[in-house]
Amino acid sequence: MRLSINWLKEYVNLDGVTPEQLADKLTVAGLEVEGIEKVAEGTNLVIGEVLTCKAHPDSDHLHVTTVNVGDEVLNIVCGAPNVAAGQKVIVSKVGAKLAGGFEIKPAKVRGVESNGMICSLSELGVDKKWQTEEQLSGIYVFENDAPVGETKVLEYLGLDDTILDVGLTPNRADCNAMWNIAREVAAVLHREVKLPECAGASNCGTPTNFKLASTTEKCPVFVGKVVNHVKVGPSPKWMQNYLHSYGVKSINNVVDISNYVMIETGQPLHYYDLSKLPHHEITVVDDVDMTMQALDGIDYEIKKGDLLITTGGVPTGIAGIMGGEESKIDENTTSIFIEAAAFNAVSIRNTSRRLGLATEAASHFIKGLEPLSQIKAVDRSVQLLTELADASEFEENVMVGTIDYEQKTVTETLTHCNTLLGTDFKMEDVLKVLSELNLNPVQDGDSFTCTIPSYRTDLNIREDIDEEIIRLLGYDGLKKTLPTMEATVGELTPVQKARRTVRNTLTGLGLSETVTYTLVSERAVDEGSLMSFGDAVELASPMSEERRYVRTAILPKMIECLAYNTAHKNENVNLFEISAVYAVGDAQERIGIAMSGNLQASKLHKMTVVSDFYSLKGVLETLLKQLGVTSNRLAYKENTEDCLNFHPYRSACVYLGKELLGVMGELHPQLIKEMGLPKGAVYAEIRLDLLMEVKLSKVKFKPIAKYPSVKRDIALVVKSDVQAASLSAVISKAGKALVKNIEVFDVYEGEHVEAGYKSVALSILYQADDHTLTDAEITAVHTSILTALEKQCGAVLRG
Amino acid sequence: MEKVELVKQEALNAIEQCTTLEQLNQVRVTYLGKKGPIQSLMTLMKNLSAEEKPAFGAEVNACKQAVAAVLEEKKTDLEQKAMDERLEKEKIDVTLPAMPLKNGTLHPLTLVTQEMEDLFISMGYSIGEGPEVELDLYNFERANIPADHPARDMQDTFYINPEVLLRTHTTAIQMRELEKAGGKLPLKVICPGKVYRRDDDDATHSHQFMQCEGLVVAENITLADLKGTLSYMADRMFGKGRDIRFRPSYFQFTEPSVEVDVSCHMCGGKGCPVCKGTGWIEVLGGGMVHPNVLEMAGFDSKKCSGFAFGVGVERVAMLKYGVDDIRNFYINDARFLKMFDRFD
Repeated sequence: MRLSINWLKEYVNLDGVTPEQLADKLTVAGLEVEGIEKVAEGTNLVIGEVLTCKAHPDSDHLHVTTVNVGDEVLNIVCGAPNVAAGQKVIVSKVGAKLAGGFEIKPAKVRGVESNGMICSLSELGVDKKWQTEEQLSGIYVFENDAPVGETKVLEYLGLDDTILDVGLTPNRADCNAMWNIAREVAAVLHREVKLPECAGASNCGTPTNFKLASTTEKCPVFVGKVVNHVKVGPSPKWMQNYLHSYGVKSINNVVDISNYVMIETGQPLHYYDLSKLPHHEITVVDDVDMTMQALDGIDYEIKKGDLLITTGGVPTGIAGIMGGEESKIDENTTSIFIEAAAFNAVSIRNTSRRLGLATEAASHFIKGLEPLSQIKAVDRSVQLLTELADASEFEENVMVGTIDYEQKTVTETLTHCNTLLGTDFKMEDVLKVLSELNLNPVQDGDSFTCTIPSYRTDLNIREDIDEEIIRLLGYDGLKKTLPTMEATVGELTPVQKARRTVRNTLTGLGLSETVTYTLVSERAVDEGSLMSFGDAVELASPMSEERRYVRTAILPKMIECLAYNTAHKNENVNLFEISAVYAVGDAQERIGIAMSGNLQASKLHKMTVVSDFYSLKGVLETLLKQLGVTSNRLAYKENTEDCLNFHPYRSACVYLGKELLGVMGELHPQLIKEMGLPKGAVYAEIRLDLLMEVKLSKVKFKPIAKYPSVKRDIALVVKSDVQAASLSAVISKAGKALVKNIEVFDVYEGEHVEAGYKSVALSILYQADDHTLTDAEITAVHTSILTALEKQCGAVLRG
Repeated sequence: MEKVELVKQEALNAIEQCTTLEQLNQVRVTYLGKKGPIQSLMTLMKNLSAEEKPAFGAEVNACKQAVAAVLEEKKTDLEQKAMDERLEKEKIDVTLPAMPLKNGTLHPLTLVTQEMEDLFISMGYSIGEGPEVELDLYNFERANIPADHPARDMQDTFYINPEVLLRTHTTAIQMRELEKAGGKLPLKVICPGKVYRRDDDDATHSHQFMQCEGLVVAENITLADLKGTLSYMADRMFGKGRDIRFRPSYFQFTEPSVEVDVSCHMCGGKGCPVCKGTGWIEVLGGGMVHPNVLEMAGFDSKKCSGFAFGVGVERVAMLKYGVDDIRNFYINDARFLKMFDRFD
C-alpha cells in the first residue's frame, strides 16, 4: 500500500508526527513500512520568470537567460531546448540541494556566469511515469498565473508529499483501503479519525430498467447504478495529486473518481459509458472462449472459467481486471453505468496471472474485499460524481445477489489473554486499545465482548483479539520465559544417530559433504536410477525439463557435482551426501560417495592414497564398521545393477546377507569422457535405510590374547580368475579357530608366472587362546590349509 | 703397594684417553679382565706375609673398584656424547610442510542444522522427520491453509497430483508430529528438512531450501515462552548477548503470529550494512499454534496451548558466514565447502 501522508492528513491530524515516526509506529503495530519516499525533493527553490533568453555565444545548444525571482534577477545558463523568454519556471538558487543530493553552486559555463538552475521535474526527483513527454524533454513551465517569487514551489506543484510504502500481511488486506489504514493510523497514534460521510448516498434515483444478471456463482454480488448525466473534464488538482501518490495516472474526473473511490474503500469500480451499452443490460458469465480487446488496446485470449462482462451477448470487459475498449469513458461521455461487484478471488487471480494483467483492480479482488464494500463504493461514487462531475439524473441501484452480512462478536477473557501471551495486561488498557480499533468492547467482569466492524474480516476468534491487544500495547514488554512443563528427554533416534556417524566418519576420512538438488531431468532418471525401486515421481507442472522428476538415486547429481569441480580445476575432490530418494509411493535413504584424484597425497613425503576402487572400498568398510556392520558380513559380487555408469569389471554389487546394500566401483570410462570427470573417478551408493533394518553388532569386550602368535607367509599360484576372497575363505575354514588373521600382501601376474595364472602372497597369523602353539601344531594346521587350497582352489605353492 | 698405585694410574690414564665406546670397552677388557694387570697384582699376594695379605688384598680391590667407577663414569660420558652426535646428525628442517592429512568438512547447512538440533535436544526436544514428497493434507489442510489460498496454487507449489506435492515448508512435519502425539501432552519437537517452492533461482531465492521449525504443546504455554526459547536460540546461533524483538505478523497456523528480529551480530545493534543500519535482522517467524490446528490434530485447544517457530537454514548460514548468494549452497564448489570446517 502506497500511503500518502498528505492524503492521510485529510482523515487524521498528524501534527507533531514526522513520517519517520509514523513509519516506526506502524511497523511496530504490524503494518511494516518498507520504504519512505519523497514525491519530489529540492531546497532553495523559487518560481521565476524568464526575462531574456539568448543563445550562448560559445555553444550550439546552451542558452543564456536572465530570470526574475522576485527579489533579484539571476543570470542563468540553461541547456533545456524548450526555455524561452516569458516563461514561468522553477529556479533552484545557489545553495539549493536537489534530488540525489545534487547541489547548485555558482559556476562559469563556457565563460558565462551562471547563478542557479532552471529545473525539470526529473531534477526534483519526480518519477518519469508522472511526467508528460513535454515535461520529460525539458524544463517545467508553469501556467502564466504562477506567482513569481513564490518559494513554496513543491507545495505549489502539489509535490510536497511523502509516501510510506506499507507492506501488508495477507490478513490485513483491509488496509489496502485508504479509509481503513487511516483508522489504523488513528489507533496507533491514539487520535481521532474523520472519514467522509456518505452512507446512503446512493439511495436515490428514479426506477431503472437496466438489467443486471450473473450466470456464475463466482460473481455472487453486483451493485450497479445508472447516472444519466455527468460532465467529463479534468479532475481537481488535489485528486490528481493523491492518485499520483498512490501510483495511478489521472485521466478525467469521472475515471479518476472510480479509481479514487477504489483506493478509499478498497472496492474496485468500473464506470461504463452508458451510451455504449445500448441494451442497458449486463450479464456476468464464465463460459466463453474468445479474444477480446481491453482498455489498453491489447487483444486477450479469454478462456472458459474466466469471468467476463457481457452486454447484449457481447463481451465488454474482463471482469475485475480491465474494462473493454468499446465501453470506455472518454471526453464525450455524458452518462455512465457504475459497476461495483464481488468477483471470486481465485478466478481473478488465475485469469490475471494467465493474461499477465496485474491491474490495481485485480490486486484488490485477489487480496479480498470486505462484505459491505460494494455499497460503500457506490455511495461514495454518487457523492463524488455529484460534487466533481456535475452528476444528476440518477436511477435507483440495480443489484445481483444479496449482501448477507451479519456483524460478528468475539468474547475473550482477560485471564485467557494474559495466560496465552504470558503478560499481565490490565483491563482498562485492553479496553482502551480495543476501543481505539473501533471494536466497541463491552466488559462483563473478567470478560469483554468485541463487535467486529465489517472491514475486519480477519477477526474471528479470541486469539485474534489477543493479537490486536498485544500488537497495540506493544511486544517490547513481553518477558522472556521458558516453558514450565513436564520434563522431556531430548535425544536422537537411531537413524539420526546413524547419520551423524556417517558424517563424522566420512569427514574424518577426508570426504566433504554436499547438498544437491532433488529435482532432476528425465535423462537422470532413465540413466541414473541405480538400485531402482519404482517409477520416478513426476511433477505435474515442472518449471523446466531439467527439474521434472524427484530423484530416484543420488548418483546423477553427485556426478554433476564432480564434473562442475573438475571444470573449475578443483582436484582431488572427494565428496559424500546423505539424502532421501523417492519412487512412486516409496522412499529410501541413501549415502552417495564420490571420490576422485587422491584421498591423501604428499609428493614431499612420498605418500599417496589414490581415490580408486580399493580406497573407496576401505572408506565404505570403515563407515559400515562404525555403523555396526563388519566387513565379514559383506559380499562383493558382480555388478548386475548398473553397467552404464560403472566400469563393468571394476565395480561390484555390495550385499549385506541376501540384501543388496549398494553399488560401488569405478565410473564408466565413457561417462568419464562425456561428463569431463577426473580419470578413474569412483562412486558408491548405499542404502542407509536398509542398515537401520538389520541387526547391528554391539560393542563388546574380549580378553586380550595372552599367548604368542606366529606368522607364516605363503605365495600361491592360482588361475587368474580365482578371487582373493575364496582363498581366504578356504584358509579360514581349514585353519579353524587357530587362524586369527589373513592378510593378502601381494598379487602378481607377469613374466615369472605362467600366462593365465597369478601369484597371490598371503600372511597367515596363528594363535591359540589357551596355550602357546608348538611348531608341530602350527605345521599340522598349515599343511592342512595348503592341502585344502590345492584341492579347492587349485592353488600351488610358488616355488 | 707402589705397584698397585702405578697400575691404577696407568688404567686411569688409559680411560682418560678413550674417545669412543669401543676404545673404552677395550680398556675395560685390558685392565679389568682376568688376565689384566689388576688381576695379576693378586699373584703378588703369595709373596706377602699373612699379616700383610689382607691389607694388600683390600688395596687391590679398592684399585679395581676405583678403576671400574671411573670407567663407568667415562662410559656414561661417551654414551652421552655419542647420543649428542647422533641427534645432531638426525636434525631435520622443522619448517618443511606437514604431511597433509586432510579431513573433510560438513556442509554449512548441516553445521547450522546440527547446532540447532543440539541446542534443542539439550532443552528436551526430540527431532521430527517427514517425507519431502508429502500429502496436501499435512502441508496445507492441517496447517489451516484454506483450499483457495494462493500458496496452494500450482504456480507456487510443486504438485505431483492434487493430493500429493513436494512439501513447501517443514510445517508439514509438525502437522505429522501433532497427529502422532494424538492429543497426548506434552509435545516438544523440532523439525528440520528440505522444502521446495516454485521459485526461480537467483541470489536470494532457491526452488529448494532448508527450514527448521520448532513446536511445543503443553498446558499453559505462552508467547513469552516463545520469546525466551528463541532468545536462547539467537545466542546459540549468532553468539552470546543477542537481543530479540517481536513484531506482529501473519501465518495461517499461528495466532498471534510474530516476526522475530535478532539484534545484529555484526555490529551489536549499532547499525551496519548487514542490518541495513537498523541494528536488527529479520530471522524467524513464529507464534501461538492456531486453535484450529490443535483441534484438527486431536488436541483440546481449551486445555492446552502451544508455540511454533520456523527459521530458514540458508538464511542463518548466509547471515552467520556472510554468504552472498544462496546458490552457493547447492553448487558444492570444493573451495566453498572447505571454508566451513566447524560451526564457529
